[in-house]
Amino acid sequence: MNSNAPASSNVLRVVELHFKYAPSPEKLKAGGQTKSLSAWTVQNIDLTVRAGEIVCILGASGCGKSTLLHLIAGLLSPGQGTIELLSGGAQQGRIGYIFQQDALFPWRTVHSNIMLAADLLPDLSHTEADQLIKQYLRTFNLNETILKQYPSELSGGMRQRVSIIQSLMFNPTLFLLDEPFSALDFFTKLKLETEFYQLVKEKNKAAIIVTHDIEESVAMADRVLLMNEDGRLSKEFKIDLGQDRSPQSARGNPAFASYYNDIWAELKAVIGP
Amino acid sequence: MTSSKNLAQRVLGRAGLILYPLPLLIFILIWYVLTKDNPDRQFIFSSPLQVWQAFIKLAASGELLKNTGVTVFEALSGFLLGTTCGAIVGLSFWYSKIVARIAHPYITALATIPIFALAPVVISWFGIGIWSKIMLAFLSTVAVAIVQSYQGAMSIEPRFLQLMHVAGASRWQIFRIVVVPSSFIWVLNAMRLNIGLALLGAFIGEFISSEEGLGCMIVRASSLFDMATVFVGIGALIVVALVLTALIDQLERRLLSWRRN
Repeated sequence: MNSNAPASSNVLRVVELHFKYAPSPEKLKAGGQTKSLSAWTVQNIDLTVRAGEIVCILGASGCGKSTLLHLIAGLLSPGQGTIELLSGGAQQGRIGYIFQQDALFPWRTVHSNIMLAADLLPDLSHTEADQLIKQYLRTFNLNETILKQYPSELSGGMRQRVSIIQSLMFNPTLFLLDEPFSALDFFTKLKLETEFYQLVKEKNKAAIIVTHDIEESVAMADRVLLMNEDGRLSKEFKIDLGQDRSPQSARGNPAFASYYNDIWAELKAVIGP
Repeated sequence: MTSSKNLAQRVLGRAGLILYPLPLLIFILIWYVLTKDNPDRQFIFSSPLQVWQAFIKLAASGELLKNTGVTVFEALSGFLLGTTCGAIVGLSFWYSKIVARIAHPYITALATIPIFALAPVVISWFGIGIWSKIMLAFLSTVAVAIVQSYQGAMSIEPRFLQLMHVAGASRWQIFRIVVVPSSFIWVLNAMRLNIGLALLGAFIGEFISSEEGLGCMIVRASSLFDMATVFVGIGALIVVALVLTALIDQLERRLLSWRRN
């Protein structure tokens, strides 16, 4: 397992990944899927993500972004190619998956939702978990009183914060976020972007964020990848907006607009006028 | 929508004590007027006064309480047995789609057989005592519980399952942490339907052959054209059904407290 230094800081290595959905009998009968039967949903994906890095994947809806996340999360099995989660340590790299709409159980209190990790991981004790919860609540500026509430009593932004805390409890090396902030209002979105950005950088986690929001991707990402309609990653943009940037300060950086324009020009070419 | 509901609530909250019994009082009044001083009509329809007298008599002798108790015991035992077994079977179908598919026509068959058709068979197997009535209540309720809980298990929010898969949960953990609690609404719906079905099952058993219970009381009284006692029996059944449904409401309020908001 021991390899050289730069490789050991990688948390994910995807090589030559191809995938297509099995045709469903109903759709076949209806003749609805005939065209895309032979086509890959995602193809030729080569992707390496390092610890501490945020990668945004941009593309039109239906291009296969979410499918790629599902593949990396292990919810789907690759047709061809390999997906390797590398944690560097002995423990296998765990994934934290954040959905566009939170996946908190409505019948559990916030506390009990966050405690999911303690239910599932044998090596995490409840006292240990409770200490972690307190610490993470402070990270996200949340009051301890919300622990007793049910998810339905919280705002969208709060629920998304709780979701992130819930997945943090599993101590993941890699976060996968599927349009995580798109259902939030602008100010809540800015706040959450900043909080999440700092979390990834401070704890040296890694994150892949799937989005269709160019602005968000430039503000958050170290790299922005464009995904084509045919499921290929067509273009990579390295975003360099300074070492100690935040998603908020990045928006004020003069280089921000030129990144934005470059990506928009490229994306326009991909998705058409 | 909400404002009109609030209005209804406010009006009923204040005047509810008068408004709720009003239709019943009007019904009794019409009944009273139409049967007053008319022995022919009273023979067929009885009269509020006769029903009241029969009620006092049956209550004083303890017969009413005993018969009601027997019917409630039979129905509740069958209900608990049927709902529990049905929920366990229905939820466990989540484990295997193949088994669920094979079982499907059998469950449909069980659900569509009129309980009246099964009653003679069950009574000849289990005798004319309470066991045959419990079995009939069980058979009336088990199919609904299976179907409802299986539907519940199959209609879980996909995100919840994905979350559990990504977190590396085992199938048993997914079942315990997600499938069972999120199917609870469905199981409670099954309970609501099953309370009535269990009473019906127990009642039909008593109606066909028995020595005690409200069904028995009603059959005997009607064969003697004692309509007042028949109406007391019907009234007792209604009260039992209302009380049991209220208990389910209470259970739902306790178990689904998270839904209130």
